[in-house]
Amino acid sequence: MAVNEWLVAAAVGLLTLVPCGIVCAKGSPIDRLVALEMAGVVDAVILLLLAQGFHRDIFFDLALALALLSLAGGLVFARFLERWV
Amino acid sequence: MRDIAVVVLLSLGMGIQALCAIGVLVMEDPFDRLHFTGPAGLGVLAVAAAILVEEGLSVAGVKSLLVAVVIIVSGPVLTHATARAARIRQFGHWVPMPAEKVGD
Repeated sequence: MAVNEWLVAAAVGLLTLVPCGIVCAKGSPIDRLVALEMAGVVDAVILLLLAQGFHRDIFFDLALALALLSLAGGLVFARFLERWV
Repeated sequence: MRDIAVVVLLSLGMGIQALCAIGVLVMEDPFDRLHFTGPAGLGVLAVAAAILVEEGLSVAGVKSLLVAVVIIVSGPVLTHATARAARIRQFGHWVPMPAEKVGD
């Protein structure tokens, strides 16, 4: 499997996750939620790039599911961070 | 020619994403951090456009466009919910304070 430009972009995407991970590790609860939302968007891009890089069309559904679930998860976290957590 | 367009769109998309992630890391206040989650949707759009240029309107192209639309639509919703949660966590409610009344 030759390394094409999609896999190189996916590797850059993985490096992009490092700042989000740092904020997730050391911020206040709301900062961590913001970093989680940012990481959700970056993850969806990485899944798109891997699906295209490996020519597996089935994994585009994975990116779509992640995009939708990170929306729902972010809303639930935001709701509970208001008062109860 | 098409490969050049794909590489340009990919580097644009990943560049926007990297700058947004660094912005989230550098900022201190959660409200400042939230400003940097906005442009990340443009990064997804650039990557989806690169896939469209490569694959055309096939299954892959349409699905990547759908992922980009979902992320762009859900961005402001998440940002508003998070900012509201941050404010309620800070002041106990989100109604503007008397000092912050604007335009009455």
